[in-house]
Amino acid sequence: MLSYVVAGLALGAIYAIAAASLVVTHVSSGVFNFAFGAMAFAVARFYYFLYIEQGWPLPLAAVVAIGLFGPALGVLLYAVLFRHLRLRSPLVKIAATIGLSVALPPLVNLALGQLVNVTAPGLAPQPVAVFRPFGTVVDMNQLITYVGLALVLVVGTALLRFTDTGLKVRALVDSPALTAMSGVSPARVSLGVWAFSALLAGLAGVLVAPTAGLSVEGMTFLMAAAFAAVVAARLRSLPTAVGVALAMGVVTSVIQRYLDPESALSAQIVPSVPFLFMLAFLLAHALRGRAGDAPTGGVLDRAIRTENTVAPTATTGSGFVAPLVTIAVVACLPLILDDFWTGLVATGIALATALLSCTLVTGEGGMIWLCQITFAGLGALFAADLAANSGWPPLAAVLVSALCVVPIGVVLGLLTIRLGNLYVALVTLTFGLLAQNLVFMRDRFYNSGQGIYMPRPEWALDNRSFALLTLAVFCALGVFVVNLRRSTAGLAVTAVRWSETGSRTLGLGVVPVKVLVSAVATFVAAVGGGFLALAYQSALPDSFSPFTGLVWLAVLVTVGARPVVGALVAGLAFAVLPSVFQTYLPTRWAEIPVIMFGFGAVMLARDPEGVLAMHGRQVRAVSGWWRGRRAPAPEKSSTATPQGELV
Amino acid sequence: MTALAGTTPPRIEARGVTVRFGGLVALDSVDLAVPQGAVVGLVGPNGAGKSTLFAVLSGLLRPGSGAVLMDGRDVTSVSAQARARRGLARTFQHPELFPGLTVREHVVLAYRLRHARRRIWTDLVTAGGFRRAGAEEDRRVDGILAALRLTPHIHLPVSGLPLGTSRLLEIARALAVDPHVLLLDEPSSGLDSRETDELASTLSNLVADHGVSLLLVEHDVELVLGMSDVVHVLDFGVKISEGTPTEVRADPAVRAAYLGTEHNEAEAEAEKDRDKNEDEERASA
Repeated sequence: MLSYVVAGLALGAIYAIAAASLVVTHVSSGVFNFAFGAMAFAVARFYYFLYIEQGWPLPLAAVVAIGLFGPALGVLLYAVLFRHLRLRSPLVKIAATIGLSVALPPLVNLALGQLVNVTAPGLAPQPVAVFRPFGTVVDMNQLITYVGLALVLVVGTALLRFTDTGLKVRALVDSPALTAMSGVSPARVSLGVWAFSALLAGLAGVLVAPTAGLSVEGMTFLMAAAFAAVVAARLRSLPTAVGVALAMGVVTSVIQRYLDPESALSAQIVPSVPFLFMLAFLLAHALRGRAGDAPTGGVLDRAIRTENTVAPTATTGSGFVAPLVTIAVVACLPLILDDFWTGLVATGIALATALLSCTLVTGEGGMIWLCQITFAGLGALFAADLAANSGWPPLAAVLVSALCVVPIGVVLGLLTIRLGNLYVALVTLTFGLLAQNLVFMRDRFYNSGQGIYMPRPEWALDNRSFALLTLAVFCALGVFVVNLRRSTAGLAVTAVRWSETGSRTLGLGVVPVKVLVSAVATFVAAVGGGFLALAYQSALPDSFSPFTGLVWLAVLVTVGARPVVGALVAGLAFAVLPSVFQTYLPTRWAEIPVIMFGFGAVMLARDPEGVLAMHGRQVRAVSGWWRGRRAPAPEKSSTATPQGELV
Repeated sequence: MTALAGTTPPRIEARGVTVRFGGLVALDSVDLAVPQGAVVGLVGPNGAGKSTLFAVLSGLLRPGSGAVLMDGRDVTSVSAQARARRGLARTFQHPELFPGLTVREHVVLAYRLRHARRRIWTDLVTAGGFRRAGAEEDRRVDGILAALRLTPHIHLPVSGLPLGTSRLLEIARALAVDPHVLLLDEPSSGLDSRETDELASTLSNLVADHGVSLLLVEHDVELVLGMSDVVHVLDFGVKISEGTPTEVRADPAVRAAYLGTEHNEAEAEAEKDRDKNEDEERASA
């Protein structure tokens, strides 16, 4: 038992370092860093590059990578991204950091090369020394991890409690405005905080690499596990976060004593432990009404805050012409492209259908759900199961399975109604991770990675017919979304999104409206998932990982989370662009599209409405100038016939 | 502006409402009634508990003890949206608008919530988003917007509207649900004197023409005293006075709450006489 506890404490210590970094940056800057895993990967990969590939001495490689490169990365990211996020809406904060998490790893791979073997050394010299105190086994990497956590806690506490710098950081947490009025630059203090946070990210990344692997997936899992400790600490309490992280590590380790390591149950339960912790704490916070959006800064900060959250209005956009032209162009693609490219276009349109659910839930409802891909995956798996194993007609299977997934979305919607934006994002991400571990990995669905065969309808077997069928479904759902947006329901959704109090005093119930959005968005996601399975002719659980869902969201918000045609452009870009790069450009450029998607989301920090809206404004500005006006006149809109709406 | 006397129960009534926030007693056994067709003023210094009482009356805050009644029925445990559906509307000290909607859309939504509630659901299956609004809806919505002089702004999104315009829009939105009782939290804040006069005139017409009951919280004491049939005064969560504007103006406890206990009694007497004369002039007018 003791050996399990010792191993668990080492794992928990790494979680604790990661959680400490996340808490410090969240309380000091109001940004919950979804790019933590990517930053950890960047530093760990650089350490590997210096130590293994360049043959530097271990201490020197560690000091340069963790002590210099890590903080430098933090400073750079603060300068280009994090400093722009403080006053942005929760959606922009989350989407921009997700964008960074998408862009940074391939950028590192582009610079340092893609690793084939992801096993990496820790900070212990090779061969790793092993000690046997009290009849248990402790290796040097574990010992360094304990020392690392102790050092972080002692130095961090001493810095915060007993130094002038710590005083400034604590002042910044309480009120940046008052800090500035005291003659201290909040920007400079934030810069230091982000540098320290990146150092911790690098340390956690290097420490976890020997066990989790030097891969983006391993680092992202570390980050997601650390989220659980941060949630337990209600995003603020450092001691709670550290304590829960250690407990989580011990539980994860001890539970393995009672499970058969070869069993499927073990493979499903063990990685789910942090997410079960997170779910338990989220529910506890929600039941006690302590999971709302915590205000950042002090009273003065809130009083002087410039509200720069961009509220989408019906006047944003350029009418029906651009969307219709876009759809017409996409409809022509299957007629002129060869079978390979037509297949990709069909996949892109199917993905666009799934992305319409994000348009609904996030673009319209303002709810930051990070599990739309999970609904799509459930729709795909259930549909394939019905079609392949029960002999249902494929389209009927897609429709029925989508209806079956709807109650799950409704329950999730009900559970998250009283939660703040960040908690909603974390709950939905947790749900996705749990579904992936506990449902998608079941033999019935996973089938050794082959998934379930999904037949296409007999009259749409070829890619051309299937692409046109998928486009027709996309258009039908797109018209439904536009109708919803322009209808009384759309007004109600917008009202609830922006002021629940105002809505309630008008007689508008928050619960029915949010349940409506949840149900419709879940249905659309599941239909999209079903069509993705039809496109691949197989429901592949690996295609519906929550982390892939983050890339989906990054692509969508880059183009624009609200326009219906934005989902179409995003879906096609996600499906087609990588193949364009792979086909026509050198192989090492294959990840450029992913980097572009990521940086597109990062750009939200500058323009929260996305690329389409930005270009729409530019076109209108040029058009206005052409007509001899300084700026375009305000477009007329009415509820009955709103004009200028992007569809 | 005359309250309908008799046996008709008040539109809304607070009975012995007490609210505590931790150790702080925000409201201490407060009674208040808004009769049909009456304008009731609620005044008090900052921190007196006015907004807390508004929150209790509108259903956003559940009192620790006491009851809230609408038309004689106990609604203490009824939600804010259900009270709104029974004819209660309110505005806020800090306007609670919907930045994603235009000025006109605010009023359209409120109108439909009252008169075409089912459209929230039926529009989805009847392509309601692509149909033109009905003539009656357009007439009523445009009428309300015109009455509050919001017509020039109808197609603007509300983010960026001046505070005064935002307040007028909140009132327009509240009127669109055809309320029986309207709670107005500092409606003249942010308005200039001309706009304040126009607002007072609009509200007076509303009461006179439609029998709407008003509960008015206002820092502009003159506006409250000028419009109200009855005025209640709160101080530190306790109701310290109740009566006609003249009675309240003369009440030493009110003077002490606003001006401190060292108030000159002779000056108070002189002001009392002056108020009495003004009331007589107003009554004869």
